[in-house]
Amino acid sequence: MSGQVRRIVVVGGGIGGVSTCAALRSGGYDGALTLIDEGEYPYDRPPLSKRFLGASGGFPLIALRPDAWYDDQRITLLTNSRVAGLLPGEASVRLADGGVIGADRVVLATGGRAARPPIPGADGPRVHVLRTVNDAIRLRASLGPGVRLLVVGAGLIGAEVTSTAVELGCEVCLVDPDARPLAGAVGDRLAGWLHDQHAARGMTVLREAVAYLRDTGRTVLAGLTGGSREFDAVVLGTGMTPAAELAETAGLEVSGGIIVDQGQVTSSPAVLAVGDPARPRLPDGRLGRRAEHWEAAQHDALRAAATILGAPQPAATAPWFWTDRYGRHVEVVGSMADAGEIVFRGAAGDGPFAAFGLRGPQIVSAVAVDQPLAVRAARRLIDRHAEVDRGLLADPAVDLRRLSRRPRIPQDETAVPQESGWGS
Amino acid sequence: MSPAIRVAPVEDIAEGEGLKVDRSVTGTADHIAVLRDDDGEFYALDDTCTHEEASLAEGWIENGQVECPLHAARFCLRTGAALCLPATRHIRRHQVEVRDGEIWLLPDMAPVP
Repeated sequence: MSGQVRRIVVVGGGIGGVSTCAALRSGGYDGALTLIDEGEYPYDRPPLSKRFLGASGGFPLIALRPDAWYDDQRITLLTNSRVAGLLPGEASVRLADGGVIGADRVVLATGGRAARPPIPGADGPRVHVLRTVNDAIRLRASLGPGVRLLVVGAGLIGAEVTSTAVELGCEVCLVDPDARPLAGAVGDRLAGWLHDQHAARGMTVLREAVAYLRDTGRTVLAGLTGGSREFDAVVLGTGMTPAAELAETAGLEVSGGIIVDQGQVTSSPAVLAVGDPARPRLPDGRLGRRAEHWEAAQHDALRAAATILGAPQPAATAPWFWTDRYGRHVEVVGSMADAGEIVFRGAAGDGPFAAFGLRGPQIVSAVAVDQPLAVRAARRLIDRHAEVDRGLLADPAVDLRRLSRRPRIPQDETAVPQESGWGS
Repeated sequence: MSPAIRVAPVEDIAEGEGLKVDRSVTGTADHIAVLRDDDGEFYALDDTCTHEEASLAEGWIENGQVECPLHAARFCLRTGAALCLPATRHIRRHQVEVRDGEIWLLPDMAPVP
């Protein structure tokens, strides 16, 4: 560890910020550690569009860590506190209430905000977004049997809210100009299949953009092809805007996110950034994409902690995320858009199935529906650049756990099949 | 300690696989997952992930850990410790023994704290 790092401030108590604190402590950092969050308590966001939205109750349901953890880890947790600025030329932060916290390193885990598209009326009183626990509590108060809900955007949030709202008895109309949302992540064919699940369950699915939203005092009129339609509430699931203001005001490099190197360091050596607002500069100098996923934020946190502690960087692993809708559990590892060929294991339908993306002889991605072990096996194969046999992948009778494990030295020549598909 | 329960012959659970033993059999609050690590050792934990509703017997078992099939929380097979988010609470462990080629389970019947 750099000997002079004795005070670290982490700004933002989402998965990125809390994971940074955990990784610093488990990596042996024993100096002062302060976590500052604008909200009431650090909580987990994935349930906001799923379990939390469909239930009653508050923070305890989704606390990232129990209270005692912060004491055990000697983390000074400042909630309901807003950081107003980074002090120029050093890593210290100035709070909105005027206080200053001195630090040797600052980690920005500031997350993002729900983006509102430039639709007239998108800021109306019956128009919701879903980013924070308060957004979720406000939205669920508007949902219920017979409620006519317009969901704008059929990406992960829009699709999950649609599914949850249907469970709560809402009549949902889902609008997206894209016929296959998520195609970039899961490929055209599976994106089409996933999107079709909405219509198959009776949702109205429209392929268009909303022209306007007009609040009538009791309902919202949405401008759609062929006229306006009336709804009781609207949810915008139209992406996020990275919260990069602190970095920008401090003069750090910002371009569609806070630019970080492979060790999560911003253009200021004393300031790091993790999670949703961080945009990586790739080893070849180009700017990468913001990951915007739950597990990616944790990997950022591990890298940031390793950088601060002068420890080796963790091994890279293929990106992974999940989504739940209509009782189906969907997991994605790697990018299907990078695949030249897709091999199905089972057919896309009501039962469990998986699809693997191949590039040449190597597996680069996988999507699984209700088949988690397929994605876990695929991830291990991807991470070690294994060459795989298409026939074995496609055969539901082949146990993928065994396929993904390195073969043991056979005691008997006939004990282990000698196919080329047993990994590199 | 309750009497031992005979679960299955050793060969019924392959390395890296698990078997859920129903609570109607174990008499415990939760079902019990009998899990065989990839080195062949047997372990037993409560079956339901401490994060959300998912069966650890269907998890990925490797290198002394089981990974939940739903959100990839990992637990230590030996101690039941929660090793990563989203789980934060440890999971109860139970004794398991191999006698004469059979797997025997000795459930921890202590009240849930």
